[in-house]
Amino acid sequence: MKNAVYFVKESARIFRSNKLSNIFSFFGTVLILFLLALVVGIWSISSQLAVLLKEEAEISAYFEQDIQNVEELLSMIEQIDGVRDVRLVDKEEARSRMETILGEESGILNLFDENPFEAYFEVKIHLEKMDSVFSQISVLNGIDYVRENREVLEQIEGISKALEVLGYLVIAAVSITTLVIISHMIRQGIYQNREQIKTFMLLGAPDNFINFPYILLGFLLTFGGGIVATVLIDILINQGYINIHSTLPFIPLPPKNQLMLGLSIFLLSVSAALGILGSLFGVYTSKNKN
Amino acid sequence: MIQANNVSLKYADGTVALRDINFSVKPGEFVYIVGPSGSGKTSLLKLLMGMEFASSGSLYVMDQLMVRKETRKIRKIRRNIGPVFQEFRLIQGRTALENVLMGMRFLDIPKRQMLDNAKNALAKVGLEHKASVMVEKLSYGEAQRVAIARAVARKPSLILADEPTGNLDYDNAINIMNLLYTFKDKNTAVLVTTHATHLIDNFGDASIIRVEAGRINVEHRGEQK
Repeated sequence: MKNAVYFVKESARIFRSNKLSNIFSFFGTVLILFLLALVVGIWSISSQLAVLLKEEAEISAYFEQDIQNVEELLSMIEQIDGVRDVRLVDKEEARSRMETILGEESGILNLFDENPFEAYFEVKIHLEKMDSVFSQISVLNGIDYVRENREVLEQIEGISKALEVLGYLVIAAVSITTLVIISHMIRQGIYQNREQIKTFMLLGAPDNFINFPYILLGFLLTFGGGIVATVLIDILINQGYINIHSTLPFIPLPPKNQLMLGLSIFLLSVSAALGILGSLFGVYTSKNKN
Repeated sequence: MIQANNVSLKYADGTVALRDINFSVKPGEFVYIVGPSGSGKTSLLKLLMGMEFASSGSLYVMDQLMVRKETRKIRKIRRNIGPVFQEFRLIQGRTALENVLMGMRFLDIPKRQMLDNAKNALAKVGLEHKASVMVEKLSYGEAQRVAIARAVARKPSLILADEPTGNLDYDNAINIMNLLYTFKDKNTAVLVTTHATHLIDNFGDASIIRVEAGRINVEHRGEQK
């Protein structure tokens, strides 16, 4: 601990010894980590969205409007394996829902003399049993037709999986790029200070003592890049949520604070780990010996 | 402290710097290494520092055999050596005091004592008033004295000084030799290469290793006989 201040000063001096190049490396790291946060953020949102939408997986079962046994039909649907919940959406509620979806354009519904919507059963199901539930409801007496939204759900799930794969690829690319940038920066610092390092070696300094300021510099630069990238992504998420809430309010986004906290922890941990690994790689691949 | 048995040093280009040399140095012994330029004086110090390694024979420093591949062991030995390099090897962009401290930061010396050692060493070489001056702003002779301060501040078991008075006027040279000579009493072995043979007569209680064309001749004078 007696050298704590010395190590920090040495790291600052090594940074200053090649200031311009190190500043570019720093901003490069910020951009790369920001890109990583962006992809992981989108990946996280889409997979949570898919989960939320899966929970909302439902079938709309329209029945012949003149039947008398609506309650009996509802009870039969309720007993089908794969059905989580059934409720009757009457004509008024159906109209009210459409008004919500249309928003300011809902005045168009006033053009109709009568309510054009039909009552129907809203059947919440387990997604994996959609086929079976769909066919069993379709053949019930009194059911006119059944509508499902499987295609949309499957597309969202597909996009989510593609983003997951893309996320892994981006994590790998970012890790490799950051390691290369940091290790190159460290090697450059070691090369520029080779005479000083040689002197330390001749005075008997152990490798840990000689290398520590370089490792500290790599860690601080990458972790600093992680902090800046975290601030940027938090600003972007805040703005994004405001925009989505005002223009596409029906999209079920995950809680903002939870997303920001998760991304911040992820980004800071990744930047710290990459900083240390990149520095160690830089130090141990440089050519100073004895 | 040092034991050389039939040591030869041959460089990669085929030049033979030292041929079959034998000598020993005890703790508290003061040794001059003299000889004309290119005779092998600096090569001998490089062997003792672990900067070069014997092509044949065996060299022990602090009872440790000097072997090229044992980097950690060599570094550990160096921590007990106070080296004064011919080219000084001061760290640019630092003050004289910082340079002296640099030689101790990785040693097992408490921070307070490290600072005291550094200030005392600078005072002993007459540079306490230059402690906060950047080394690149010092004169050649002053820089040499900072290098000497760095070596002695460590309180080493062995001092290896390559031409430590080479750039100093007579008075400063005598002062530096006096300073190095005081380490005899602290059981520190001191080996000094020098061209300044006139200084040798001022410090009679010393051994002399005469190097010529890679061969040595050892002479003991005074109480060291």
